[in-house]
Amino acid sequence: MENLIRCTKCVLPETHETIMFDDAGACNICRNVEYKQTQINWDEKKLEFDELIEDYRGKGDYDCLVPFSGGKDSVWTLYYLVKVCKLKPLVVRFDHGFLRPNLDENTKRIQRELGVDFHHFTPNWKVAQKLMLQSFLEKGDFCWHCHTGIFSYPMWVAIRYNIPLIVWGEPSSEYTAYYDYEQEEEVDEKRFNRYVNLGINAEDMYYRLNGLVDKRDLLPYSYPPLSELRRIKYRSICLGSYIPWDVKKQVEIIKDELGWQGDTVENVPEQYDYEKIECYMQGVRDYIKYIKRGYTRPSHLASIDIRNSRLSRDEGMDLVEEYEGKRPPSLDLFLDFVGLSEEEFLQIAKSHMVSPHVHDQDAIQDGKKLHDFDEWSRDGAMDRADTLKQLENWHKRKMTV
Amino acid sequence: MIGIVDYGMGNLLSVKNILDYLGEDNFVCHDPGDLARADRIILPGIGGFPDCVRALHENGFVAALNEAVLTQKKPIMGICLGMQVMARCGHEFEKVAGLGWFDAEVVNINTVNDRIKIPNVGWEEIQLNKNSPLFKRLPAKSDFYLVHSFFMKFDDDNAPEIDASYEVEGVKITAAVRKGNIFATQFHPEKSSDLGMTIMENFIDWQPAI
Amino acid sequence: MQFLGSRNDPDDFVLVTTVNFEKIVEMGNPISQAKIFQAQMADELIFIDLSVYKGEYQRAASLEILDKAARNIFLPLTIGGGVGSVEDIRTFLNHGADKVAINTKIIENPDLLRKASLKFGASTVVASIDYRVELDGNRYVYSQAGQAKQSFSPLEWAQECEKLGAGEILLTCINNDGLREGLDIPTIREVSDAVNIPVIAAGGCGLARHFSEGFTEGNADAVSAGTFFCFQDQNIMQTRSHVHNAGVNVRIRT
Repeated sequence: MENLIRCTKCVLPETHETIMFDDAGACNICRNVEYKQTQINWDEKKLEFDELIEDYRGKGDYDCLVPFSGGKDSVWTLYYLVKVCKLKPLVVRFDHGFLRPNLDENTKRIQRELGVDFHHFTPNWKVAQKLMLQSFLEKGDFCWHCHTGIFSYPMWVAIRYNIPLIVWGEPSSEYTAYYDYEQEEEVDEKRFNRYVNLGINAEDMYYRLNGLVDKRDLLPYSYPPLSELRRIKYRSICLGSYIPWDVKKQVEIIKDELGWQGDTVENVPEQYDYEKIECYMQGVRDYIKYIKRGYTRPSHLASIDIRNSRLSRDEGMDLVEEYEGKRPPSLDLFLDFVGLSEEEFLQIAKSHMVSPHVHDQDAIQDGKKLHDFDEWSRDGAMDRADTLKQLENWHKRKMTV
Repeated sequence: MIGIVDYGMGNLLSVKNILDYLGEDNFVCHDPGDLARADRIILPGIGGFPDCVRALHENGFVAALNEAVLTQKKPIMGICLGMQVMARCGHEFEKVAGLGWFDAEVVNINTVNDRIKIPNVGWEEIQLNKNSPLFKRLPAKSDFYLVHSFFMKFDDDNAPEIDASYEVEGVKITAAVRKGNIFATQFHPEKSSDLGMTIMENFIDWQPAI
Repeated sequence: MQFLGSRNDPDDFVLVTTVNFEKIVEMGNPISQAKIFQAQMADELIFIDLSVYKGEYQRAASLEILDKAARNIFLPLTIGGGVGSVEDIRTFLNHGADKVAINTKIIENPDLLRKASLKFGASTVVASIDYRVELDGNRYVYSQAGQAKQSFSPLEWAQECEKLGAGEILLTCINNDGLREGLDIPTIREVSDAVNIPVIAAGGCGLARHFSEGFTEGNADAVSAGTFFCFQDQNIMQTRSHVHNAGVNVRIRT
């Protein structure tokens, strides 16, 4: 295994975004979570939340808007708001195009168990494809359309239906140091610009695509103007800023009370059957991260368990060694969707390596297929001619290196 | 309604822009009489102490400010030179009397330490008074942007009016002051991004105990 | 942050990045990108209007961008490109700039620098110095966006600008511009050590390490970049973490 410097408490390496190590070699995310566990008066925070929601209860057609994916965090958030707080939400889901069958079943079950109005939006696939390829080229992350869509689209819905309170799930300080628990993390344009949109707004993407899409095609990915959001007096918050986020406990509750079912996930230890089960491109995303940064989801999951005293650091490193460094079968689908060959894919991913990590392709093994692999839609493959056009444009722009 | 004092020397536009961004009603006070319409006042300032004082006198603002601030107790926030001018006097070029609201004098940074490069320009880590209502929601050590060669030096280095300070080359430099309904910062909150914006929001909400 | 009229629509001013001051690539909307940089904790933004020498100069476009920036960005803002007189400076300051960067015009008329410094204060005036390293190893200042070679070196000119009253030096190496292979450390160190005013090093950052080197080896007071953030998954906060980890005292608290 490569010799990256890792946190002395968890197992995150130096290539993790925003990581900083203190004199004891512990990372800022560990410190932040320690702060969360010891310094925050959660009773006070809960009271704050209970008071906050009263300002919105019964005031409009809906008490709040809940952005939803069907994964553990949004299900827990919805559960809490409906069952515990007894609010009437409008649930909004932005469909990134890769929802897995189990997730669809989970969603139907939850809709029926909880009883909620549900708004589902699927953006134009042809536009999404181009965005996937472009963001993979620009940033080594093909999920730009998903990141921006998930955080922008619900805001437009909030404006349209005049729903000022928007409640998200966990705050980012659980995983990165773009914010820390000492501050109030509002899910707003600043956060969108800070790290959600990968440094590219829809208006910028328009120039980079050089005529391949229309400005209107990019609306679902554009953050609404502040003036519009101010008009409805918006308040966009994380539930996890007011109640302490405990993934394991929350998953148990939604499994018991709502019949939510977990699933296996590519190249991840089976006991983590609740993590990122909603997207069948998850394996590719994780693989790209591994190529770029030398670590991926198992490190992330092990670190969370370590911070919550459920795993020792040695056990964490064992998991990392066993599960990381594998090629996901879903890569075949991704290559179809963006029209790339595997060599091109590797070349592009490697161009985004974060120093000091260097990717060793020879050490990569094949990962296992998941049980529903054959059910994943492979429709909508990109025309090679279109891919070539985008690649050519990219090479011209990127100039030298 | 926030009144921004225009006496010909100040970064009015930046102050106005940040208040507009925060959605706060504000207007520019070109005449001393305008202060009557304001519930709170901002006194910006960039340039030299003597010029500033002269301009305030020439525009008739001194009496109006004393009335609004000392008698009517309207909350006021001074920025940069706008803070310095609240001192007893300043020693830039010549000794000139200030508004006299604080028992302090404005002196060149180099008089307390000649190794410090002046003007001191850039971001500094400022130690904030955790109990100050103007600094709520801010970390005890926050970074702000400043540009200055002179600073407000109190007779007593631990004067209670000092609400924030920073250290450079072992010397403590006053970064913010507060007394009753008067608050002022040496640094520029309107140029200090998020943390600066929080200070502006705190000033807007501030109900000084008088 | 360099901008000029878009290839497809000359009235639409876009943010661009360059290589060796030549190849121009359109990156996005200047205000959108400015907001992103602010959210990512940039310490300052420097806007350079390239249309003066690389396109069709439209002062109005410059002012419009500045106006919009001043309404959305609460950081020190510097504008350069087309600053030719004391009146120009007044105009830019009135539209929201905190500082102006002047390059060609102070070479043509050094007295402008002296006047500007006296009138507006040294802290308001940034002397922008572009230079090339020639094959013989010597360095020469170039004005007019890299088109007009001067007879003096960046070191000589930086010292002269300091004497004339510049508050800061923006030092850009044309050879390294946009290549992402690193800063020209020797020149940066030479200039930084020779003057007492802040030096902003620019041209060539391609790795987070290059930023740290600018501080620790180049002795620069600030490092500026544009292209660095364009073609890879890097954002300013990540860069700051790297630089901080290298022991440089940078702002890290949000």
